[in-house]
Amino acid sequence: MSLLQDVKNWVRARSIHVSYVDVGSCNGCDIEILACLAPRYDIEQYGIYVHNNPREADILLVVGAMTPPWVERLPALWAKIPPPRAAIAIGNCPISGCVFNRRETYILGPVSKYIPIAAEVPGCPPRPTEILSAVLSVAPTVFRDYEVKRP
Amino acid sequence: MKKVVDVSIPLGPVHPCWKEPARIKCETRGEKVLSAEVELGYMKKGIERIMKGRPWQEVLFLAERVCGICSVIHNMVFIEGMEAISGITVPDRAAYLRVVVNELDRIQSHLLANFSFCYTIEHETLAMYLLNTRERAMDSLERITGARVNKAYMIPGGVRFDLRDADRAALCADLDHMEEAVNRYARMFEGGPLIATRAKGVGILTREQARIARAVGPTARASGIAEDLRLAHPTYRRLQFAPIVRTEGDNFARIMVRFQEIFQSIMLVRQCLHDLPAGPIRGGGTCGAGETVSRGEAPRGELSYFIRSDEYGRITDIAIRTPSIMNIDACTHYMLPGVTSLADVTSVFVSADPCIACNER
Repeated sequence: MSLLQDVKNWVRARSIHVSYVDVGSCNGCDIEILACLAPRYDIEQYGIYVHNNPREADILLVVGAMTPPWVERLPALWAKIPPPRAAIAIGNCPISGCVFNRRETYILGPVSKYIPIAAEVPGCPPRPTEILSAVLSVAPTVFRDYEVKRP
Repeated sequence: MKKVVDVSIPLGPVHPCWKEPARIKCETRGEKVLSAEVELGYMKKGIERIMKGRPWQEVLFLAERVCGICSVIHNMVFIEGMEAISGITVPDRAAYLRVVVNELDRIQSHLLANFSFCYTIEHETLAMYLLNTRERAMDSLERITGARVNKAYMIPGGVRFDLRDADRAALCADLDHMEEAVNRYARMFEGGPLIATRAKGVGILTREQARIARAVGPTARASGIAEDLRLAHPTYRRLQFAPIVRTEGDNFARIMVRFQEIFQSIMLVRQCLHDLPAGPIRGGGTCGAGETVSRGEAPRGELSYFIRSDEYGRITDIAIRTPSIMNIDACTHYMLPGVTSLADVTSVFVSADPCIACNER
């Protein structure tokens, strides 16, 4: 392993830019992600920056049950994120559709049909601490030795 | 005559300032917004279609998932509708506990709305203060109901959990802390000269326009319309309650109305805790057939449920009208045109506190 790669691993584990996209949730998971910003949880002390800009994101938090308008837009959004990148599904909705995955529904889940999901945080909604620990545990593993692993 | 438009600027659906996807198209001349148009449909899950034909026990959980921010009022309005249909009475203690939880939910919703506004105008310090204070309200809710967001606290005939003495003491401490903190932040907001330039006189909705656009909730009350459905609620009538009204109709007024309503909610919770009678928290009853329209004051305004059920308590027809649709209309048709800078479009939109998830269901 080269020294340069070690430096990259070190930096990538400590500076994680997060973008979130709501593909049809009830808002519950959105506000729990927002609550991570609060000084009580203080997401920025771990070097995680939440700003909703896909072009400078490393991690995409996907929230919601996948409504029809997002079928084309979510892969387009995913394509805008520069690699290395990872998507985390927050809440039950992107995993299974939760209560919305019933007869007569409009949703077209799960989200993993459209973009690769690196991790899933179940819960309706998950607590802010769970979201925080998911981002912290996924990012270093996914981004580690990215240049070596890349085909 | 052909309208002269420089450029049509779309904002969204993924936008750094907005929690939820919506698209606003602004027609501008220079920096001045001539007209705006909102494009919705990114969140439509068809909850009302899923609800039809299901027993009330399932619809109860679907109803609060219409909106995660104001889940308590959706729960409350639906359950009050079912009670009206079936003739179920609620014990006094449960009725007061419902008001306690509903007002705590209003406090956290208003704090979140004011956080969003401060965050949008890039006053991050005040925004973070407000978000941290909100966590105290969430703690109180979690202690009473057992969950942070989707609580399912109310059921036909009462509530699920009683208020224990330890929780009551903690709730009083939280209320004192929140009152002191929000008082300080409201004064910061009121006196901030830079906030005033972004908030005062921006996005004006006059009383007449608010009436035409059927604005509801804090948006209407900031434009001088003294309407609050809590005035019609039997439990609130027993408490001293008068709606808070301001007349300016700009961003500043809408945020200040929410700040004042937080104080009012704190007073209402205190009053409920003072008057809280002893007794059971659950009565009996069976949900039956009937048809009703149930209404309540959500943090964003008037919320109404039309419910029709059959003799087994199954929901055969349901229609929900949420407050945000009127406020979004008022925002795009009356507040946004005439805004002098594109930078103010996001803050004006956020000041109306739109909840897209409620809106599209």
